[in-house]
Amino acid sequence: MGMGGGNRGGGRTTMSEINVTPMVDVMLVLLIIFMVTAPLIQQGVKVNLPETKAAPVEATEKKLVLSIDAGRKVYIGDAEVALEELEQKLAANAKAQADKEVYLHADRDVPYGVVVEVMAAAQRAGIGNVGMITDPSTAGRTSNTGKGKSKEAKR
Amino acid sequence: MKALLLSLLLLPVVALAQAPTIEISGANFRPLPVAVPAPLTQNDGAKALVAPFDSAFSFDLAASGILQVLDRKGFTADAKEGMAAASINFSRWADVGAEALVKVSLAQDGGVLRGELRLFNVGTGREDLKVSKDAPADNASLLAHRLADALYRHFTREPSPFLSRITYVRKAGTNRDVYVADWDGGNARALTKGGINILPALSQDGSQVAFTTYRKNRPDIYVQSPGGEAKAVISGEQMATGAAFSPDGKRIAYSLAEGESAQVYVANADGSGARALTDTPYGLNTSPSWSPDGKRIAFVSNRGGSPQVYIMNADGTGVRRLTFQGNYNQTPDWSPRGDLIVFTARDERNAFDLFTVSVETGKVTRLTQDQGSNEEPAFSPNGRLIVFTSTRNGGSQLYVMTADGNNQLPLRAEKGTYQTPDWSPLPQAQ
Repeated sequence: MGMGGGNRGGGRTTMSEINVTPMVDVMLVLLIIFMVTAPLIQQGVKVNLPETKAAPVEATEKKLVLSIDAGRKVYIGDAEVALEELEQKLAANAKAQADKEVYLHADRDVPYGVVVEVMAAAQRAGIGNVGMITDPSTAGRTSNTGKGKSKEAKR
Repeated sequence: MKALLLSLLLLPVVALAQAPTIEISGANFRPLPVAVPAPLTQNDGAKALVAPFDSAFSFDLAASGILQVLDRKGFTADAKEGMAAASINFSRWADVGAEALVKVSLAQDGGVLRGELRLFNVGTGREDLKVSKDAPADNASLLAHRLADALYRHFTREPSPFLSRITYVRKAGTNRDVYVADWDGGNARALTKGGINILPALSQDGSQVAFTTYRKNRPDIYVQSPGGEAKAVISGEQMATGAAFSPDGKRIAYSLAEGESAQVYVANADGSGARALTDTPYGLNTSPSWSPDGKRIAFVSNRGGSPQVYIMNADGTGVRRLTFQGNYNQTPDWSPRGDLIVFTARDERNAFDLFTVSVETGKVTRLTQDQGSNEEPAFSPNGRLIVFTSTRNGGSQLYVMTADGNNQLPLRAEKGTYQTPDWSPLPQAQ
């Protein structure tokens, strides 16, 4: 071809745009990874695992306290409720629903399964934050009976 | 001079002596969470009346806009708990989030139903209010309204709308009849029987209803008191529609159509001395609504090309356009507090929604959105609530909300097609 045609069709022009194809590829891979892992993350009851030296929650306001005594009876405040009614009671409880937080105060000898059931009921009622009340003086092995004892909520 | 000094000295003392009231407007307003357990009964006669009392009482408190009535399903207190502060376990009420506790006890005594209401502060366990009221046993909802009114007065220091009346049109087949009912839609009674009767308006004390009727095959304005005879007030070859009583009840404003125009008129309440306030040869001027002092009238006019809300003095002078947004604004109603006018507007998506406009600044506030068509608003006697019709649940139903658009609830009226509610400007005398 002649000189005139070469100017127009030749490969001498500079590519002035960023090639986005690799970026789209990377993003797509990332997206798929997150989609696959997301359901795995959400499975199971959310439990804040106990820490040995957890700092006490600074409770500025009195939160609702759920209690489980050694006889596995469940209480909202000091009123006994059946475990199957607990979810409904909590769902209709304006205080718990406003705070989205309750404190769980369970006897030392209550099986883990019962505690998890109560926590699951609270979660089904839309309360994501369940704080655990523990006795900070861990020296004694005595069962936690005292309402008069000083208690702190730990998360 | 001495008296002035003395009153200045006493002023702070008087201010301190007042009990705390709920702040019921403004950005920081939060409804007071209140627990209202089912009423206690003193005898068997009262047991049968619990259900009608309770539904009316709960609705009054829930719709008041100042209280958040807590869900009874969450309550943990003993169902047999008594009325006295000593017998109440306040920590259980605090556990369900209640800041106030309302206990009611009912007793039937022959043809009379007596109710005692006690209001407790859950935090302190103190009894803040104790009132007793009675009502005929066949009208348990009246007792509910009286007790709810006492509670409302305690919190706000102003009369509640619970004892006032509303009027509305109910459609049945081809008939449209005017009804008068309690504010919540209960105790509804038909005022007219058959034919087409529309656009009712209550007089200031709720004793008379003006409405537009087609009983002579043209629209005329009649006035009737519940149980009384209908009297023609504005009647003739011209089409008269949409009467509104002035706040002193001595005059009515209405719209009179002639040829291609309609003008706003004012006449004495008996129809004499009619006088046109507007004069636009080819324009329509309709839907008059009085200001609470009776000195001004809001109305709809299309003199600017599209229907817009205007205000003028009650003698027709000083016409001022109030709404500039949208191209279809109608059915204005002036708040008894005087500051706002609520109206229906058709927005850009051809949906009807309610807005308020400030009379002074012209600031427009949206009250409803994405909930069907919402039309025909009317302010409550104290200007805190608005009744309106909505098609959000199919059909045209009556709803009530607060004046800032919160807490929208359907009235307790039975299913049907409802139109053009109006609220009496003053509560009925007790």
